Amino acid sequence: MVVLAATLAWAQGTTPVRPGQVEQRSPSLYERLLSTGPGGPAPRRDLSGSWAGPLSAKEGEAPPLTPLGQARFKLNVPDPFSAHSNDPWGTCDPFGFPRSATSESRRIAFGQMPGRVLILTGYQKIWREVWMDGRELPKNVGAKGGPDPAWYGYSVGHWDGDYTLVVETTGSDDRSWVDRRGYPHSVDMRAVERYTRVDHNTLEMTLTIDDPKIYTKPFVAATNRFKWIPNQEDEEQMCVPSEAIEYMKVIGIPANQDQVTGKK
Amino acid sequence: MRNSFIGSIVAVAALLACSPDAVAQRPLTLYQKLLAAGNTGGPAPKRDLTGFWTGPLTPKMEEKPPLTPLGQQRFKANVPDPFSEQSNDPWATCDPLGFPRSSTNETRGVAFAQMPGRLVILNQYQRTFRTAWMDGRELPKNIGAKGGPNANWYGYSVARWDGDYTLVVNTVGLDERSWMDRRGYPHSEDLRVEERYTRVDHDTLDLTLTVEDPKMYTKPFVLATNRYKWIPDQEDEEQVCVPSEAIEYRKLIVIPADQDKAKGKK
Amino acid sequence: MMRKHVISLVLLVGFMILSAPLFAHHGNVAYDTSKAVVLKGATVTKFVWANPHTFIMFDVKDEKGNVQHWSGEAGSPSALRLLGWSQSSLQAGDTITVYIYASKTGNPVGRLNRIVLADGTELKDSALGYREVE
Repeated sequence: MVVLAATLAWAQGTTPVRPGQVEQRSPSLYERLLSTGPGGPAPRRDLSGSWAGPLSAKEGEAPPLTPLGQARFKLNVPDPFSAHSNDPWGTCDPFGFPRSATSESRRIAFGQMPGRVLILTGYQKIWREVWMDGRELPKNVGAKGGPDPAWYGYSVGHWDGDYTLVVETTGSDDRSWVDRRGYPHSVDMRAVERYTRVDHNTLEMTLTIDDPKIYTKPFVAATNRFKWIPNQEDEEQMCVPSEAIEYMKVIGIPANQDQVTGKK
Repeated sequence: MRNSFIGSIVAVAALLACSPDAVAQRPLTLYQKLLAAGNTGGPAPKRDLTGFWTGPLTPKMEEKPPLTPLGQQRFKANVPDPFSEQSNDPWATCDPLGFPRSSTNETRGVAFAQMPGRLVILNQYQRTFRTAWMDGRELPKNIGAKGGPNANWYGYSVARWDGDYTLVVNTVGLDERSWMDRRGYPHSEDLRVEERYTRVDHDTLDLTLTVEDPKMYTKPFVLATNRYKWIPDQEDEEQVCVPSEAIEYRKLIVIPADQDKAKGKK
Repeated sequence: MMRKHVISLVLLVGFMILSAPLFAHHGNVAYDTSKAVVLKGATVTKFVWANPHTFIMFDVKDEKGNVQHWSGEAGSPSALRLLGWSQSSLQAGDTITVYIYASKTGNPVGRLNRIVLADGTELKDSALGYREVE
């Protein structure tokens, strides 16, 4: 049990607690930064730099699913610590989009390139590219003759006023989950992230999903809040497949969580 | 080697010249087309690498890295070729390539982006990024020591301009589990890497990657050199390595095909 | 004119050779590349468009009518895209003709030379697709 707790803690990036010890978990960087002030007004049209977030975004309530959506949702068995889960995270498969915006959100950063904004996700050190030059999203993604689906989709963006960056994404490979609950999406999903810089130190995110094949109406899939990192330091968070596989062999299967919790 | 090299160029050229349609032509990659076209795109802008660049599958590598006895031992333990069942190449499960392997293995695309006080180097393969601090801060000295930062897959980098066209990036703090390249050359946690990116003209970027690791190699040496070309429409290509697919590939192809048996290796 | 043509081709091929990796990508030694096995009327059961290599799982009936389960590998998505492949090239249920260099072990696995789709489209492998087949 101690080993399991330690490994879970490792997976979540916190300090493991020894039995008998009163939980004195030190606050994460994000928790400490929550109490910092605004740091001045938000600069205009500028999110560049590194931000700290909570472990995960706040997941929204999904609307009723279509019959296809329900069938797909049933197939996804969440909880990568369970031996019966088919969560792709269990082998460190790419989160893809939108999951990179809903699961493991401890670090996010924004960078610049001519005509593009880069969104850099700390977990797995993934970059996404957002075209800001007015081009449209591709059509026919995944159809014959059209572009292939991409794990991180195709994104375009624009500023709504001076403080909100709007990012629209489509063409996400449908093997990725929306979040760790296992909600599915199709390639035709259109996702909109709105990043609003409230003040210099605070960034708020809303992720809305519109995917009529899977969901009966558009919904807010996640919200999140990030705080500016004072010294702008990075933190590397990698998911190493060979370690995840060993974890399952050494811990997950013997610990047999599902049997213990009465799931089997 | 040199004679047959020239001979083969002439032979293929002659064949192509005589009947271009008779020999089926494997299509060229964007990179090969751009190299052959040899455009400069005008002079190099000053102190600016931002944008997307395309490169070959693998750079030109040093053929005989000078291993120390410990280096030899570690090299022997690494069994390359993820298409062989006996290989322990971490790439076989899509483990992070880490640095410098992300610059010596699968180098079809690289990009550079700006952030306050730093440059971000984006790898097309596995879609990873590295941060190179340009605000004057120094590299950490106490990697792995109490209170110091841990070694990790992509290390800690600082960068500076040498003149207006060459960016010098120095990196330390690299986890020794990563291989330096796909041949399995090892490195210790003390590895220091220097990349020199020289923008020759607007469309051409040359890289020299030098490594120094006294535990593993008897002297510093140039591990790889590469040449990238500016992508005209700046479109990149998504290249991800999906562990569950790599595992399935191993089960369905690598193990039944049993390459090692065919080679007489077992 | 002809001389200039040859020189530019020599330079082109020279660049191609120079840009080829010193360390061969994949030896394909596991497969008998002296002849391609032809499998007609193969039914695709799975198409995995992935790094390091794409592969197809397909079923073929042998002379006795027994179903054989085959797996055939091809190049990476980046390499295959140049030859007209895409993630949507194949799906489960498609009928194809397969030209494959089979494993020396006798297992039903190999490296593709090419596949031919029901509509006649030919998709070659990036490494072995340019060899002549019988």
